[in-house]
Amino acid sequence: MSDLELSVAAKDTDRPKLAPGRWIWSAVLPVALVLLLLGFAAVDRGVLSPANLLNIAQQTSYLALFAMAQTVVILTRGFDLALGPTVSMVSVGTALAMAGATASGHDIGVVLLAGLGAGFALGIACGLFNGVVIALLGVNPFVATLGSYNIAIGIATTLSSGRPVQGVPASFSQIFYSGSVFGVPAAIVITVAVGVVLHLMLSRTVFGRSIYLIGTNPRAAAVAGLPARRILVATYVLCSGLAALGAIMMTARTGSGEPNLGGALSLQAIAGAVVGGTSLAGGRGGVGTAVLGALFITILSNGMNLTRIDGYVQMIVLGAIVIIGVLLDRLRLEQRQ
Amino acid sequence: MDFEIDPMPAEPLLRLRGISKRFTGVRALDRVDLDVRAGELHVLFGENGAGKSTLINVVSGTFPPDEGTFHFGGEEIHHLTPQRARAIGISPVFQEFSLIPSLTVEENLFLGREVTQGGILRTGEMRTRAKALIDELGFDIDPSQRVDDLSRAHQQMAEIAKALLGRVRLLILDEPTASLTERETGRLFELIARLKSQNVGLIYVSHRMREIRTLADRVTVLRDGRHIRTLDAARSTDSELVELMTGRKIDVLFPTIAHKPDRVMVDVENLTLADGSVQDVNFHARAGEITGIAGLVGCGKSELIRAIYGIEPTTAGVIRIDGAPYEFPAPRRSLKRGIAYFPANRIAEGLALSRPIRENASMTVLDLPAFARFGVLRQAAERTTIAGIMEQLQLRPPNIERSVGTLSGGNRQKVMLGRALTRELTVFLFDEPSVGIDVGAKLEVYQFMKRLVEAGAAVIVVSSELPEVLALSNRLYVMHHGRIAAELTGAEKTEQNVLSSFFRDHLTAEVG
Amino acid sequence: MNTALATASPQSAIGPRSIAGRIGLLPALLVLLVASMSAVDPQFYGINNVLNILRNASLLAIVACGQALVIIAGGFDLSVGAVVALASVVTAKTMAATAAAFPGNTPLIIAGGVAAGLGCGAVVGLLNGFCVAKLKVSGFVVTLGTMSATAGVGLMITNGIPVYGMPEIFVKGFGRAQALGLPTAVHVALVVIALMVFVQRRTLFGRYVYAIGGNVDAAVVSGVSIQRHIVGTYVVSSVLAALTGILLTAQVGSGQASFGGDRMMLQSIAAAVIGGVSLRGGVGRIEIVAISALFLTILGNALNLLHVDSRLQPVFLGVIMVAAVALDELSRRSKARV
Repeated sequence: MSDLELSVAAKDTDRPKLAPGRWIWSAVLPVALVLLLLGFAAVDRGVLSPANLLNIAQQTSYLALFAMAQTVVILTRGFDLALGPTVSMVSVGTALAMAGATASGHDIGVVLLAGLGAGFALGIACGLFNGVVIALLGVNPFVATLGSYNIAIGIATTLSSGRPVQGVPASFSQIFYSGSVFGVPAAIVITVAVGVVLHLMLSRTVFGRSIYLIGTNPRAAAVAGLPARRILVATYVLCSGLAALGAIMMTARTGSGEPNLGGALSLQAIAGAVVGGTSLAGGRGGVGTAVLGALFITILSNGMNLTRIDGYVQMIVLGAIVIIGVLLDRLRLEQRQ
Repeated sequence: MDFEIDPMPAEPLLRLRGISKRFTGVRALDRVDLDVRAGELHVLFGENGAGKSTLINVVSGTFPPDEGTFHFGGEEIHHLTPQRARAIGISPVFQEFSLIPSLTVEENLFLGREVTQGGILRTGEMRTRAKALIDELGFDIDPSQRVDDLSRAHQQMAEIAKALLGRVRLLILDEPTASLTERETGRLFELIARLKSQNVGLIYVSHRMREIRTLADRVTVLRDGRHIRTLDAARSTDSELVELMTGRKIDVLFPTIAHKPDRVMVDVENLTLADGSVQDVNFHARAGEITGIAGLVGCGKSELIRAIYGIEPTTAGVIRIDGAPYEFPAPRRSLKRGIAYFPANRIAEGLALSRPIRENASMTVLDLPAFARFGVLRQAAERTTIAGIMEQLQLRPPNIERSVGTLSGGNRQKVMLGRALTRELTVFLFDEPSVGIDVGAKLEVYQFMKRLVEAGAAVIVVSSELPEVLALSNRLYVMHHGRIAAELTGAEKTEQNVLSSFFRDHLTAEVG
Repeated sequence: MNTALATASPQSAIGPRSIAGRIGLLPALLVLLVASMSAVDPQFYGINNVLNILRNASLLAIVACGQALVIIAGGFDLSVGAVVALASVVTAKTMAATAAAFPGNTPLIIAGGVAAGLGCGAVVGLLNGFCVAKLKVSGFVVTLGTMSATAGVGLMITNGIPVYGMPEIFVKGFGRAQALGLPTAVHVALVVIALMVFVQRRTLFGRYVYAIGGNVDAAVVSGVSIQRHIVGTYVVSSVLAALTGILLTAQVGSGQASFGGDRMMLQSIAAAVIGGVSLRGGVGRIEIVAISALFLTILGNALNLLHVDSRLQPVFLGVIMVAAVALDELSRRSKARV
């Protein structure tokens, strides 16, 4: 009797039985992506044209970069609401530094270095602020980054007086926007390179391993002697650093420092990460989920634009998608248990 | 008093038949029967993990049984919920308090049963009734104080008062005296006597022989989720109960360990913790022997070794490891000095459940060049090492890529033990090492400790399971209220002596 | 008895101190701010400036009360700003439409508009509550989603153009009117605050909101039904946001999808957090949140009067918010060590 029941119990916890279910769940998004593309293509052939596909890839590369940045902190059960304002601040700072360097007559190499230096310095400073407030002072990430959200907006608009900052040298845009490697636009090249490096970092280094362990069980990670606080600070710095890189790329695209560049980016980046399957409970997700989520959102809005769906309707759809994405994530979790 | 009592029913107040409960592969209860009569105090007796807490959770409606019948007051009960249980007069007092820390005592007493009129609270009436009840019970708590401002003992009293508010027919007490002083315990016992005379049935979970002797009418012994026997308290001996509880002669279960006490590895002098749970403790542990620490829940024994490892803040005292002072302990530094800690709560403090076994086992060694160079993991080496260790520990099935969440309690403990083999360690701190694991796995844990000690390590075992620390340790400290109450070696190391030092400030123990 | 009292005394010493920390600091800061501003700039206590401050503080306080309730129960409501906009637009549209259908029937027009505005708030709140309580999706994400969707609906209805056509009396006789020398919005806010304080202190709902936020497991074991009350907090929050939207509409004289927005959402959270509402749930009092809303409004006003660049003002808000929570966190740590 009891032997029989034991074998039943063993069957319940059998792994191979669960595996197909898991596969189905992780296939939901890619399948939805293909269906989405085909659906839009049915309405408008132009969606699948090489030019538009390249366009989608280029658009995705920005959002993917920001979603990756957001994913790094979400993996530790955190958040970076300040990502958008950080982007604005870096954009303004970069443009101002380059305009200033140009005005004082430096040659183009120095100008570019000044721009990049100022941009990354601002981004890293913002990340350090977030990390220190969250990891060392123990402030909830939501409040901490909401605070730096306001601070970064204040700095960005004050530095720029609320107007676009002109004086970005043409060569800056040529390198980071219109430049290409073997015909692939710079934005795509940079994002792919960052994605590969980040993926290796998350999967192959002590830092990456620690991020997952801390996100899965912060207490256990601390008891096991992982330097949790230091790693947490580093993740926020990494997040803001990636945001700064994205800001530099976007500044190159617009050709000026924009105090409103970040606008809705914080939320879009969170949406991208979450829709891709990064778990808000921490410890699950990665470069793949961020890219997938960003691709999904970009295709959705690209398709809706081409099929002339109202921009306001698009906001509603995006809102619904975010909720459904998290709902799916929860169902997936329950399936595992 | 604030509760009314029904006339005595003809059949037992509570009648459980064939109750089974399974949690993801672990059988917590296996066809358990239990009768509790009105006016009777029925003790549930068993080791940790024997199924006592699962059983009282079933009785109080926290989770439904998988099978079996449940009769209360002569009626068959289906789909019991916590609300329904309280409504029919089943009141549990859990060890994990059901209090809201940010509310006051009186708000907590009435939680879920507030006196209202059209959704509006009648605070005046509730205050009067709360005061009356607390006075009646003779507790010294101020009903308007916030629960998080109370000491643990006062929280325990609030919890008991909460259970007694309203009509009570069956009161469930889970180790209620664990954090009470002698005086407060006395009050509680008077209260219990009064409740019995009013025909209230009581289920009482306790490890303490003295309490069982003083209070119990009948004792039901549980072991490994099974009902072993129900005996009349008056006609059973302590050794009989202990034997039924463990199910075997003690020396059969525990390995014979050849202790060879060598130099002092851990030396603690006048240690006091910031939260006051440990006060002015002097203590040492030698290489080559197992040093045991026994004591009741909340006596500070876990906190002591946690402080040595560096996860509880200290305010005074000196810790020396192998003769050298160890200042500002922290987990990372402790590991570097060769100290490992195995937490009692493996889910909260030990394991990252959704990560694979391999990553969990190597969590404490990511700073070593054998596992990572320049911050880059050496995954092949990691895989080989961890696979070897898990094979040595006979993890079944031996797949180290499974997530730890899919493992049984025993296998989870093996993953923790695996960490001990990944780096050079000399001091091993075990906090309740056999909680939540089955007998077979316990044996393996004991064998593991034996190997460590015989290889010359210093092992410290903290346990609430008396037979375990008695059998394993070469020297045994007994802690009580944050202080060392006794140090026992050789022939002094008996259950009787340990119990008597728990209650030294009480009456003489009535054991044996 | 004496022994028990003696052991309790070290704890009771903490009580008053932490209470002083919780309540005392903010009013003190407020008084300091008002006193120093009055000394620096007489314009500050000019009647127009005072009325302006009170009006703006009232609007913020109403939203912050709802936000505080949600946070006390352990949630978050990011959608409040969007609800303000949607309610404004819906109220104005409904009034315009009713006026076209029943010209001259002013009571019906106003009642219809207000009911529609509050109604759409209730719908968003129900949706939020349903997703959080029943579908168990994190409150942050749900309201992030509904924020986007609600804002989209508001813009879709209006195409971003202000909606006119409300009865004269609704604007002049209510929105811009004064009673007893105070703008109507202030009266409404006072009623809302009083009502919310009563709900918090004296009703089952208020009590259960604290219990759920304080310790969900204990609340469940004690027989508190969780889902209903969580839905309740989101509905209250959205309805109060809608009320603010209606007040703004009446004051400005047109329904606009640009009302509220991220700024209102962020400020409401800031007001709640600075007002001592713990993000861990279970702690917070409406009256302090209201004071905190007043404090934030006066601070903004003071910075304007001092000619601090309005663009720099968010920096102050951000720093104060982080500092408030960091202080709370540090005092918790020191308390845990005692």
